Amino acid sequence: MAIEIKNNYGTILITDDVIASVAGGAAVSCYGIVGMASKNQVKDGITDILKKENYSKGIVVNRKDNSVIIDLHIIVMYGTKISAIASNVQSTVKYQIEKTLGMEVDGINIHIQGIKVVNN
Amino acid sequence: MNKIDGLIFAQMIDLGARNLAKNAEKINSLNVFPVPDGDTGTNMNLSMSSGAAETRANKAAHIGQLGKSFSKGLLMGARGNSGVILSQLFRGLSQSIESKDAITAAEFAEAIDNGVKIAYKAVMKPVEGTILTVARESAEAGLEASKNSTSIIEVMEAILTAAKISLKNTPELLPILKEVGVVDSGGQGLVCVYQGFLAALKGEEIEGLDEVKTDIVNMSFEDDHSSMDFMSPEDIVYGFCTEFTVRLDKNKKEFNEDKFREDLSKFGDSLLVIADDEYAKTHVHTETPGDVFNYGQQYGELIKIKSENMREQHREVLRKEAEREVNKEKSEYGIIAVSMGKGLSKLFESLGVGVIVEGGQTMNPSTEDMMKAITKVNAKNIYILPNNKNIQLAAKQAADLAEENVYVIESKTAPQGIASLMVFNEEASPKENFDNMQSTLSTVKTLEITYAVRDTNIQGVEIKESQYMGILDGKIICANEDIKESITQLLEKSIDEDSEIITLYLGSESDEETTTYIENLIEENYSDLEIEIEIVESNQPVYPYIMGIE
Repeated sequence: MAIEIKNNYGTILITDDVIASVAGGAAVSCYGIVGMASKNQVKDGITDILKKENYSKGIVVNRKDNSVIIDLHIIVMYGTKISAIASNVQSTVKYQIEKTLGMEVDGINIHIQGIKVVNN
Repeated sequence: MNKIDGLIFAQMIDLGARNLAKNAEKINSLNVFPVPDGDTGTNMNLSMSSGAAETRANKAAHIGQLGKSFSKGLLMGARGNSGVILSQLFRGLSQSIESKDAITAAEFAEAIDNGVKIAYKAVMKPVEGTILTVARESAEAGLEASKNSTSIIEVMEAILTAAKISLKNTPELLPILKEVGVVDSGGQGLVCVYQGFLAALKGEEIEGLDEVKTDIVNMSFEDDHSSMDFMSPEDIVYGFCTEFTVRLDKNKKEFNEDKFREDLSKFGDSLLVIADDEYAKTHVHTETPGDVFNYGQQYGELIKIKSENMREQHREVLRKEAEREVNKEKSEYGIIAVSMGKGLSKLFESLGVGVIVEGGQTMNPSTEDMMKAITKVNAKNIYILPNNKNIQLAAKQAADLAEENVYVIESKTAPQGIASLMVFNEEASPKENFDNMQSTLSTVKTLEITYAVRDTNIQGVEIKESQYMGILDGKIICANEDIKESITQLLEKSIDEDSEIITLYLGSESDEETTTYIENLIEENYSDLEIEIEIVESNQPVYPYIMGIE
């Protein structure tokens, strides 16, 4: 499934995968995120920290006409202010999607699926 | 000074926070990354103030206690990316000094370094050229200095000096900073905090911001209009990219940056203003560049002015692109395959097929479809894999009509098509390739499992509606109610001592149980042949299973 943008030359299709990858790339560059959680974790019963290359798996893209709602399933670092990180992710992802794909973002929902505790 | 306790640390925090607060606006104006919303200074300031407030409320001579309060205050008040990073830096620092009354220079340097380590743990993709880099490089310098000195002031001096150098270097690491001609905003914030720390240790007050000076007059707003290729020239609302630098004149209109921004924003969009006491540099996209310049002149002399017609630039870009499109060179080889099902198409593409034509048993592509594919693949020598007996004719007609050198490989099934792709060699001549590909077709046996849509009698086999038929190389071998029975009979007829590899293509109507059954069947009944099984999720319709035996 894809978003369509029409111009004089024809149609540009942007697939959900692309949107998810852009969103994932933007999200993992945000401070405080240590991983993306598999969106299937409810089914699997375990919260896997996904490897970098398939971070788009923790992202669900819902489309409505030419705007999107994105759900991100993330894992954050213990000891950080999670609300601040979540809102950073929202604004960064929104900005990147709008800038690079030229489409409107209707909403970004953040699901904190896990917290990583690191001993030092 | 060789040791610091909670009271001194509290002073450091206080002065650090105040120095940051004083410079928050400056830091906001540096903000370009990652979201250019200009609030890094504000966010860091609020985070730091929250930390400082907590230490004021919980005064302690025990530095470990005080560090805890500071870290807690920072955590509660953390806002924005840089605020969160700041809170992590000091959380790590306070963890390191948790159990101590007072700390030495070496312990201080170590604590700063621990902060950096903790901060780096909370990010998957650390972006270099940001506050993280500044924190890391300065902490390294601190550790180094603490080896040679027991004076905390000297260590702090080393940290601050390194932080400034690192900050100055951030544009080299992060291209976007260089484009805009600024240093990293979060890094600048950290430098402000460290400046406060050092001043407190020395017992000084801070006057004026000792910043890394930005050369406002010569910096440029890198605004690449050619990248806007998703728009058409008509879509550009504000057509002129207009920039000017004004030397602020005390005798002219009084300069107020907020007012200045607000006024200019009425002329257009993409507004950027960078100002200090002497100069204000402005970038705006507007329809009326003249008015913008007139407005700027109220504040003083215009030093540099520039206005570019973005529509014209844009037309130029589009024209060049169109040219490029036309001249796109033909490649030496192109392969077209007819395929059904996503998984199968993907497999073909991964094997070098340039264009996939959707089609198969129930939907034969037309000659025109083939012609379109030939144009699209844009190559001098083209191979078509029809992968079905009924499509070969359309493919051959297209080959006759096309001006290019088109070969039709007479593949009747997908496994044959895939086998022929395996022997394709870019180095070989077009004819050689054709011969090689053509000759591999007979080395593959294709087994297909599908269901009958009506009662019939073909090739001596009685078939009832909805029975599963086993087909070997186009010939119907058996028909049964049970799919497993059909598969068993079909395999019996097909596997011989030359069989080495079986590739199992799972259709959209395949199911896990049957797949496992097939695997076990092959492994158990033909164990002496040591057959390798490969499974491909090809999702073809109509045929729950297709197998290729080589």
